[in-house]
Amino acid sequence: MLSGIRVLDLTCERGFLAGKILGDMGADVVKIEAPTGDAIRQRGPFLAGKEGPERSLPWLALNTSKRGITLDLDQPDGQDVFRTLAKQADIVLESFQPGLMKDRGLGYAALVADNPKLIYCAISPFGQDGPYSHYNAHDLVIVAMSGNLQMTGDPDRPPIRCTMPTSYYHAAPEAVLGIIMALYSREDSQRGQFVDVSMQETHTSTLLCHTGNYSVDGVINHRAGYRVGPSREVWKVKDGYISYGLRGGPTRVPNLVATVEYMDETGCAPEWLKNYNWKNYDVFSMTSEEIAPLEEAFGSFFETKTRAELFEESVKRRIMLAPCNDSAEVLAHRQLRSRDLFVTLDYPELGASIEHPNFFAKTTGNDVRIRGKAPKLGEHTDAVLQEAGISTEKVSALRQQGVI
Amino acid sequence: MTERVFKGLKVLELGAGAAGPISTRYLSEQGAHVIRIESAHRPDFLRLMMAVKTDTMAERMDSALMFALLNTDKQSLTVNMKHEQGADIVRRLVQWADLVCENFSPKVMPKWGLTYENLKKLKPDLVMASGCLFGQTGPDRLYPGFGGQGTALSGFAYVTGWPGRETVGPFGTITDSLSPKYVACAIAAALFHRRRTGEGRYIDVSQIETAVYSMSAAIVRQSANNETEERRGNHDEFAAPHNVYPTTGDDRWIAIAVQTDTEWTALKKEMGNPEALNNSSYDSLEGRVEAQEHIDKTIGEWSQAFDRNELMSKLQAAGVEAGALNNQADLLEDPALNHRGHFVWLEHKYLGRAAFERPGFRLSESGGGFDKPGPLLGEHNREILTKILGYTIAEIDRLTSEELFV
Repeated sequence: MLSGIRVLDLTCERGFLAGKILGDMGADVVKIEAPTGDAIRQRGPFLAGKEGPERSLPWLALNTSKRGITLDLDQPDGQDVFRTLAKQADIVLESFQPGLMKDRGLGYAALVADNPKLIYCAISPFGQDGPYSHYNAHDLVIVAMSGNLQMTGDPDRPPIRCTMPTSYYHAAPEAVLGIIMALYSREDSQRGQFVDVSMQETHTSTLLCHTGNYSVDGVINHRAGYRVGPSREVWKVKDGYISYGLRGGPTRVPNLVATVEYMDETGCAPEWLKNYNWKNYDVFSMTSEEIAPLEEAFGSFFETKTRAELFEESVKRRIMLAPCNDSAEVLAHRQLRSRDLFVTLDYPELGASIEHPNFFAKTTGNDVRIRGKAPKLGEHTDAVLQEAGISTEKVSALRQQGVI
Repeated sequence: MTERVFKGLKVLELGAGAAGPISTRYLSEQGAHVIRIESAHRPDFLRLMMAVKTDTMAERMDSALMFALLNTDKQSLTVNMKHEQGADIVRRLVQWADLVCENFSPKVMPKWGLTYENLKKLKPDLVMASGCLFGQTGPDRLYPGFGGQGTALSGFAYVTGWPGRETVGPFGTITDSLSPKYVACAIAAALFHRRRTGEGRYIDVSQIETAVYSMSAAIVRQSANNETEERRGNHDEFAAPHNVYPTTGDDRWIAIAVQTDTEWTALKKEMGNPEALNNSSYDSLEGRVEAQEHIDKTIGEWSQAFDRNELMSKLQAAGVEAGALNNQADLLEDPALNHRGHFVWLEHKYLGRAAFERPGFRLSESGGGFDKPGPLLGEHNREILTKILGYTIAEIDRLTSEELFV
């Protein structure tokens, strides 16, 4: 869907995923690294625990469908090469501290003067200007400022973040959405524009509507750990944890009834529960004394079962219960495998074959899929510079100067 | 400034809940004309949640906060799909639309004969998107779950919490906020493609797959090294100290994340180089990770004397990554969000003034924003039925009394 669209991807780990999404949708994404290589190449986890710039697993995971060149943007000759590339590009995508590209003479205003159709997208923690734009932040600080951290965790313990950097995951598809909107409107206007992404702002969406609620009812919510509202949402079972809610309403009561039937068939439903009146059941209006026996009955039943047993029955019986899967279980999940979510990429030079999630959407044109492995350091420098009309002699000179 | 990106784009939306409506809100924010098909007979469950007025069912469905917040700038048309003409009304609107979005369970649209295959015959260049929990195909496609289940199945619950205790998040059931962003991306790309080639597309999104795709790094690590990402509390393998620390006030905290040895030196200096941190092994990441319980305790004893915002400015000025933990009230006052015009205050018939939240990106030339809260149920019946489908008021009244437009 994005074939023929040329992207210059200058992102660090905060923005890798945005470039990957564009590449997986068919854009020609050129990842630009400093000649020393991106910092993540020096950081693990590494393939088989062995260090090496081509062995960084987050690099391999998040830079698929990109070509790669090295270019020193702090040297004047490197800046010239970048200007040449930007003249022929549709999109510049970066995640530097705001102002850095401008200081190099490569800011949006300078580049757009040579290429009015250029779309420039900058991903930063707090946006390109404003009171915190100069603050440095990675995931933990962004999640803190977004409001999500205060809400996640047990009520009697400090707030807690997800181990994986969720703020990068939320910023990337919003950045791509902004870029595609700019491409769409460019069809009419024939002009590009600036897409300014604040990671804090994209991540406020994880509160869904809780801030809007507060603007009306003035109620500040507190983190509730394994509970949602008054009732338990995460339960211990024989071999781990599951997610299951005791909440009511027309969509959920049938699933509670189906669960009790399942319990009854295994001889685990107490008489009172079999006769429970679910009509008008609403857990939010119940006292903890009223909820406790329900939690006790459901909880002691779940503890007799494994996650796989419970999920199998839940699919059959339309019960809203799910295992808390780890990454090995996600990788093995029959539903995901039946849709061919995972693709194996071979890395013969590393002696490895690795499975990657291949798409975020299935389309009739098979438009979203990994087009190629993450580039080795400088793998496509010669090809890309040649395409840009830079002579072989010039490329050799740049290499000698250490620009590429 | 040019016009909003999607001005003139016609969108028909069916479905309920959060994930579906959030994906089309990105389009309405940029000027698309979005019509939601609803029915009083089977109301969107968001219309039954957090209602402000609950005296009558009608008031309840019109004063539900979450619905109003997630459906800004959309129109509401009520069509009873149990009526024999219900599906036909939808088919006529599909011919009007550029894009159809739905997020029902995969059996619902086929039951009404409203599959992409059928609708494409009426509108060859149609773009259609479906976004349910597990996707349109596969053995578990009919499994019924909400965001809590999506978060668990996709692996996000497992990696949120303290080691050795149950998972506790992440707050807000990540699939509900993450998957709409990908649905909107795929829709926008398909519309761009249609504009360039005249070709339509069908898009099948599984909310769980969008989450797994985002977590590619964990999947690749599992596949390559047979290593599983675990719950680590606030700790990080590649940065230390990396945690939240108490500040003045009840349940108030600051996040500090030391990424480099230089930042570590800067942090110690701000703390007055305390004796407890005077250990050369802490000058490397390995040493700090080894001693992080002790380091965390020392920082916490120091931080608790400071206001979290003042400490944030002080540390950031010294080159140390720090951020105050905001709650909902703080967010409304947050200077960075307000600088970007994140909150749009609009008046709602029942809710009064409420803060509506914009996405996290700004387009320099296309503006964008919200003008109206989510619609009342059937608010736009007359307008849509007369202007788009050519009914007279008398016909609308008759078909409403015959239970079609309810």
